[in-house]
Amino acid sequence: MIEDIVLLSRLQFAFTIFFHFIFVPLTIGLGAMVAGFEVKYWKTKDEKWKKSAQYWGNLFKINFAFGIVTGFAMTFQFGTNWGQYAEFMGDVFASPLALEALIAFFIEGTFFGIWHFTTHKKPMLKAISMVLVSIGTMISGVWIITANGFMQNPVGYELAADGSKILLSDFGSVLTNPYLWYMLVHTLLSAYLLSAVFMIAISGYHLLKKSNTGLFQSSMKLGICVMIISALLLPGLGMFYGHYVGEVQPVKAAAMEAVWEGGSGVPMYLIQIPSDSAERNLVQAVALPKVGSFLLTGSFDGEVTGLNDIDPEDRPPAALTFFSFRIMVVLGILFLLEAFAGLYLLKKDPAFENALSQKYMKLMLYSLPLPYFAIAFGWAVAEVGRQPWIVYGLYRTSEAVSGVPAIQILFSMGLLILFYLILFVLFLYLMKNAIVKGPEVKEHA
Amino acid sequence: MLDYEFLINIWFVLWGVIWTIYLVVDSFALGAGMLAAFIPKNMGQTLQLAKSVGPFWGGNQVWLILAAGGTFAAFPVIFSKMFTWLYIPMMLLLLAIILRGICLELIYHDENEKLQNAFRYGWSVGSFLIAIVLGVAFTNFFRGLFIGADYAYEGTLLGLFNVHALLGALLFVLFFLTSGALWGAHKTTGAVSKNCGDFAKKSSVAVAVVALIYILSLFNTDGFAINYNAYPILYIVPTIAVVFALACIALSIKKSGRPFFAFLANLGTLFFGAATGVVSLYPYILKSTLNPEFGVSIFAAASSQLTLTLMFYAALIFVPIVLIYQLWSYTIFKNKIEEA
Repeated sequence: MIEDIVLLSRLQFAFTIFFHFIFVPLTIGLGAMVAGFEVKYWKTKDEKWKKSAQYWGNLFKINFAFGIVTGFAMTFQFGTNWGQYAEFMGDVFASPLALEALIAFFIEGTFFGIWHFTTHKKPMLKAISMVLVSIGTMISGVWIITANGFMQNPVGYELAADGSKILLSDFGSVLTNPYLWYMLVHTLLSAYLLSAVFMIAISGYHLLKKSNTGLFQSSMKLGICVMIISALLLPGLGMFYGHYVGEVQPVKAAAMEAVWEGGSGVPMYLIQIPSDSAERNLVQAVALPKVGSFLLTGSFDGEVTGLNDIDPEDRPPAALTFFSFRIMVVLGILFLLEAFAGLYLLKKDPAFENALSQKYMKLMLYSLPLPYFAIAFGWAVAEVGRQPWIVYGLYRTSEAVSGVPAIQILFSMGLLILFYLILFVLFLYLMKNAIVKGPEVKEHA
Repeated sequence: MLDYEFLINIWFVLWGVIWTIYLVVDSFALGAGMLAAFIPKNMGQTLQLAKSVGPFWGGNQVWLILAAGGTFAAFPVIFSKMFTWLYIPMMLLLLAIILRGICLELIYHDENEKLQNAFRYGWSVGSFLIAIVLGVAFTNFFRGLFIGADYAYEGTLLGLFNVHALLGALLFVLFFLTSGALWGAHKTTGAVSKNCGDFAKKSSVAVAVVALIYILSLFNTDGFAINYNAYPILYIVPTIAVVFALACIALSIKKSGRPFFAFLANLGTLFFGAATGVVSLYPYILKSTLNPEFGVSIFAAASSQLTLTLMFYAALIFVPIVLIYQLWSYTIFKNKIEEA
């Protein structure tokens, strides 16, 4: 039997947060687009926008239902499994969580109910409530990433006199933590990208079947526009995010590029296989001179910390961080190419009817899981790369857990895995049905 | 900045108020869920019951997140101990919340009869489980836990499910059932409304009987009555609860009675009943049955003055705003729900 409660608690948290985050990006991105359709219908009374709002809103609904309740798992686990952390960090970390409920979740929960049970006979109420839901999802992002930003780059706190916990000293600096804003922009953009890919893939599916072409041509257009913007901004702004990580989390940055020996003007290797046990890259080939330094510092001659400059006990798992980062970046490049291809087709064949468009739509349908993976790997970089710290440089993950018997954690994790598997199958079933059925959606009043 | 001791006391009150509001506002959605197992005769009636709470329950459920998050922000140590010591019940609560939420939100979604039936019973089982865990948890808080020196927890999982706690679970189930039945009687038409009303006539009496036994045994528990004996004026809280309970019975049984008023009376009983327990806790939230001084007091567990001040002002601004738009949402959906 596994007795390591730190490992078990980490596995359980990782499992529940990855599951929760299947639903989050689409809720944020698609929510904003549905709000847009609702406003369009309210303003123009054009049936096309009503149908768009109904169709995409229906898919949003399923996603929202799963997203909200699976989020409870995180709040609970801070107490059940991360009790020492809760006590050490609560003074700073918990306020954003409470404010998230108070300011964002109430808006989301209440106005989702209003939107869901209002028909299009009241387009204004329907539109305004969906806009509020969408705003709520974004405010909620601000607060949860305020909390996560603090874990990455703790600011605005002081250690209590007896060292037993930290105390809030400056809420302003917690809110103006640059890490929070880099991370928030990155998270929101990736949510829009995922939602755009989702919209393109599903619109393509219907255009291939030639059903409701008018509606899905405009959805396709919106999807491609959102995709090109977010796919361009993600690496563009992501580069500055990378420089900033290099500045405040040099060890994580070194793991992202698997730089073992530090120095200035370090190269980037296109082919690389790092090994944590060997403390070096087993394979490294195709060097781009000085690019490594540039990516991590913003200067080709920048000084980069190497993993071997750091005690092994203070390093994150390098291979896992490195591969997660590489996969995310490669997928990011792929999205950019797909977005340009989409833009090209939009100009050449706006109805998406020719043979090339058909191929593109099939490609995008198969690409649908990719942004989900990109986001999951991105979070793996952020959270695995933060190890061995739960709060970077301040508090170790190994000190943070509750003293719960391992058997209880195994029990809860077993239940959660079983339950989530059933939920995931249910989710896929409901989404598939709703996607296939098309825009004939019954409204509830 | 406000005086630190004053702030901690204020937060104790807010802690009690937020948890109590949660119990009150989720009571009728949970009750409707439990009723869904046996009141509706077909899927149309099930959907009717679901729609009677449909627009409201999601926003109401956020009070639970606020209650947990508020406990965390104001009293991190209490949050940590509460969830760690009750690990298994809290995990069951989590699963129940997820089950109830997904089933209730998506029951209208798919026309597949089998799936709708699965959602119906999932909604019901989830609601029962939430009520039971809350009843067990709060009874243990009101009675006190086996907390040794230096917060060494000596309780067992089986020990949490003592006779008194099981009575608490029964009481919560009955409270929520009554709440849901009176809401259903008020908010729906036809057979569902009538069956809900008939059910509430019996369950409101059961609530009063079980509540009486429950409260008497609470006052017989060591240490429960300390605050009441120190400030006998506090006995007014359980007295109001009793008055509301009697009013609820009278209003439920009355032939021409409007179930809405009985519903409000039941919420009043629930509110003041929960307050009766909360009053006994002060200055602890997690009391120790081994030695009162071993309990986790609000003064030992509180966040810093700055955090409490910040959160106090945030609550002062946003709680009223939330209450206003949530109450307003009831005026949008004022029509009675007919069978689908």
